Amino acid sequence: MAATESAAPAESELDRGGAEDEPRGAEPEEDAGTGQAGPIAAAQQHRLAKLPLSRIKSLMKADPDVSLASQESVFIIAKATELFVEMIAKDALVYAQQGKRKTLQRKDLDNAIEAIDEFAFLEGTLD
Amino acid sequence: MAERPEDLNLPNAVITRIIKEALPDGVNVSKEARRAISQAASVFVLYATSCANNFAMKAKRKTLNAGDVMSAMEEMEFERFLQPLREALEAYKKGQKGKKEASEQKRKDKEKKSSSTDENDKSRDEEEDEHMDDEQ
Repeated sequence: MAATESAAPAESELDRGGAEDEPRGAEPEEDAGTGQAGPIAAAQQHRLAKLPLSRIKSLMKADPDVSLASQESVFIIAKATELFVEMIAKDALVYAQQGKRKTLQRKDLDNAIEAIDEFAFLEGTLD
Repeated sequence: MAERPEDLNLPNAVITRIIKEALPDGVNVSKEARRAISQAASVFVLYATSCANNFAMKAKRKTLNAGDVMSAMEEMEFERFLQPLREALEAYKKGQKGKKEASEQKRKDKEKKSSSTDENDKSRDEEEDEHMDDEQ
């Protein structure tokens, strides 16, 4: 179990996360987002969506049935994804708390997915 | 290793930030949990897109629009998202309008400058157009 219980690792978790995550053509500006995403993020979307619209759009285009998507639709999906992340994190937390833990673990996610109807589409999709 | 759609990850730092902001202080998230949430988010995008696209196709449109996404959210049983999404969309539209007006204004200003007798060699065609405008 890599996670620790103390407060400090928050920053190192972020850093390690950044490092481990870019085998592909990295977009350094997003990863420099240990608080430093200022001008680029602002340029992208006025801070209304946290997730990069370009990446969302690439995902959308992976669907062969999708021909075109309006800018607004890309934005809305980005926003919805943000809400989704918030929701699943909070729902998983309930299980961590039941286990008297302060660290969210993978099994908490699995429990939430199993228990909550809205997450049924995730079953069998995560590594 | 083929590039599956699921491999298109969302930036780790942003996902982490969204998670941290959603959870109370003092709660940590293991690397595995974070990774799983990130993956789930990608799957969510794919699923929502597919759902939304069905609505577009039903309406015989080739372009997926915001309304299709809203319908998809309902179908996916994420009605709780509808209100905040509508508000976000309003704000986004205003922002886009503002950008457009700003570049319109720039053009007008340029025209004014060149039509004035002040022959500025400096006011060349600075097409420092807002490239961010075409998110496409």
